[in-house]
Amino acid sequence: MTDSVHRFYEEYEVFSRKKGDLPLEHRFSLLAPNMEMAMILAKENFFRREPVADLWIVKRSDIRKMTQSEREAFGRLEKPYRETRGYGDLNERWRAFKARAGESGDAGP
Amino acid sequence: MTPEYRTALIELLYQLADDNFILAYRGSEWLGLTPHIEEDVAFSSINQNAMGHAAIYYQMLEDLGEGKSDDLALLRPPAAFRNAVLLELKNGPGNYWDAPDYDWAFAVVRHFFFDVFKSIRLNALKKSSYPPLAAAAGKIVTEQAYHLMHWETWFVQLMMSTDEARRRMEKALSLCWADAGGLLSLGKWGAVMAEHGLTATEAEWRDQWRQAIGQSFARVGYVPIGEPGMAHGDGRNGEHTADLGEALSILSEVYRSDPQATGW
Amino acid sequence: MAAAVPFEQWTAEEKYGHFMRRIENGEKIEADDWMPDDYRKALIRLITMHGISEIMGAFPEKEWVPKAPTLRRKLAIMAKVQDEMGHGQLLLRVAEDLVKPCGKTREDILQDLFAKRLKFHNVFHMPSPTWADAAVIAWLVDGAAILSQTMMLKTSYGPYGRALKRICQEESFHAKHGESLTLSLAEGTPAQRRMLQEAIDRWWEPLLMFFGPKTKEATGHTNVDKNLKYKLRTKTNEELRQEFLSKYVPKIRLLGLAIPDPTLRYDDEKGEWIYREPDWNKFKQIVTGNGPKTDERLRLRRTSYENGRWVREALAQWKAAAV
Ligand SMILES: [Fe+2]
Ligand SMILES: [Fe+2]
Repeated sequence: MTDSVHRFYEEYEVFSRKKGDLPLEHRFSLLAPNMEMAMILAKENFFRREPVADLWIVKRSDIRKMTQSEREAFGRLEKPYRETRGYGDLNERWRAFKARAGESGDAGP
Repeated sequence: MTPEYRTALIELLYQLADDNFILAYRGSEWLGLTPHIEEDVAFSSINQNAMGHAAIYYQMLEDLGEGKSDDLALLRPPAAFRNAVLLELKNGPGNYWDAPDYDWAFAVVRHFFFDVFKSIRLNALKKSSYPPLAAAAGKIVTEQAYHLMHWETWFVQLMMSTDEARRRMEKALSLCWADAGGLLSLGKWGAVMAEHGLTATEAEWRDQWRQAIGQSFARVGYVPIGEPGMAHGDGRNGEHTADLGEALSILSEVYRSDPQATGW
Repeated sequence: MAAAVPFEQWTAEEKYGHFMRRIENGEKIEADDWMPDDYRKALIRLITMHGISEIMGAFPEKEWVPKAPTLRRKLAIMAKVQDEMGHGQLLLRVAEDLVKPCGKTREDILQDLFAKRLKFHNVFHMPSPTWADAAVIAWLVDGAAILSQTMMLKTSYGPYGRALKRICQEESFHAKHGESLTLSLAEGTPAQRRMLQEAIDRWWEPLLMFFGPKTKEATGHTNVDKNLKYKLRTKTNEELRQEFLSKYVPKIRLLGLAIPDPTLRYDDEKGEWIYREPDWNKFKQIVTGNGPKTDERLRLRRTSYENGRWVREALAQWKAAAV
């Protein structure tokens, strides 16, 4: 196979936003010889029916993905201090204050 | 509506409908045969758009009492067609079902010429004195931006790549240039159309088209020889090649096959 | 899984065990994940065949694109065949990522197709001589394809599942389009109904074949078993064929059309359809590249691919010049 054939079949990843207030999502990939061509091909290959408010094309070789080794290795312990569920005691503590205020009768309803 | 206005309007609507209908057909013959699978999908959308536009214009003719829109598209004799001859010419030797030796350079140049022209024409029609046409043009023109971007990308890239591509593209350019005048023609009713504000004058859109195409030519360092011609005649006046008759017999083969049929 | 030892340093057995646990847990495998060789091979065989079938499947219907009877039908069949090319694009991309580690590209896949080293579905080797064939293809061939594609939606291979999700959404339009074409002919003149009946007669056996032979004793290979083990599919060929019969036999009969199999009946006791076995030798011949239209359609694809070579070379060049 000639080298030029390889250069025609470059991989591009296609991302889009359906509506202005939605995040960008990965759609699919296609083969194209360059960015401009990838853009005109992406539009009708992946958005013949669904709406598209914005379209991004990224050359796959420019993407740094995780390796499987990294995906398997990156564990994480629970970190309740950075989640709302780490603060489940707040209601009870407020209730204690309300009860105390009720006894002394100096707080409103 | 005076009889003269009506005749000019109907002539214009046939030009619009037939242009889109015939070129959409030529494009649809390419389905599955383009140089790249992704392009097959993209190109087909453009052809569907054009076929959809043709259907809108045929429907307007039906509303004017010209007959059923399917009959208008499929049962008129070739001489009744008002499309530019450039749009009816075959994609190349062979048939779409057997040994198609189609010319991608010709497809790119022809569609590029047409879509540049179509955008200019639609923008002029937005001000047409016939309100349904003005309204339709306003809607249809929204699909043009993609067509232009698509064909301009193909045109520039092929013109600026290998020597072989340049040679093939220049050959296609001279073929298309020889009949591009037929796109710009308004036919023998053109003066009446312009007079009644149905559309812009032929001279206006000729200038605009020359300017737009000239800019693209400048980008790729191409200089055409002479003026756009009508080598195969003026389709707006019913002059056509044998390619049109052949195309129409394929397009209408099933529709004609059962005269008793009321639905398909 | 303990992560103390980096994944690359795991033994082959550990990797395999981990892989199978992921499959059993319903996790999705991605293109650059480690996978056993025969999983990759099974995927390549399945997805390449599926993708190529979409591309080759465009041809029998494409013959009717320019000839579709009315403006509305012309538009709809263009959109339908375009979708099929689009399905081919999606699936070939999935297959291309799988063959990439073997140093192969789309070019190689297409060359394999031209050399008949790749199979495609039996139905796309068959002629489609009338407009009614376009109707029956869209209604029943797509109907059969929908059953097998839906069955694979939960496949263990993530990229395939995502492609199938898109494809199945579009297939629901194809099914409606096919139904609409069929109903118009069934409601029509005697000539239209005759054309429809003849198309059903032509397509019945290919449709039964579409799902593949019943048992591995009959096929002599174990692809189906392997696909089940790796959760690439969830049903057997016969289960799908039975589903197809239950879904479509009553509809075909409701239209007053005959099914060209006098032995066809539903056995209440067994709870299954009894039908005449299609000729599996013929099936084998067809899918190995000796169907009635195989050579003609391959020639069409090859010529157009060769004709486009200058375009691909030119654009590869253009990019090089622009960088
Ligand atoms: Fe499909
Ligand atoms: Fe389909």
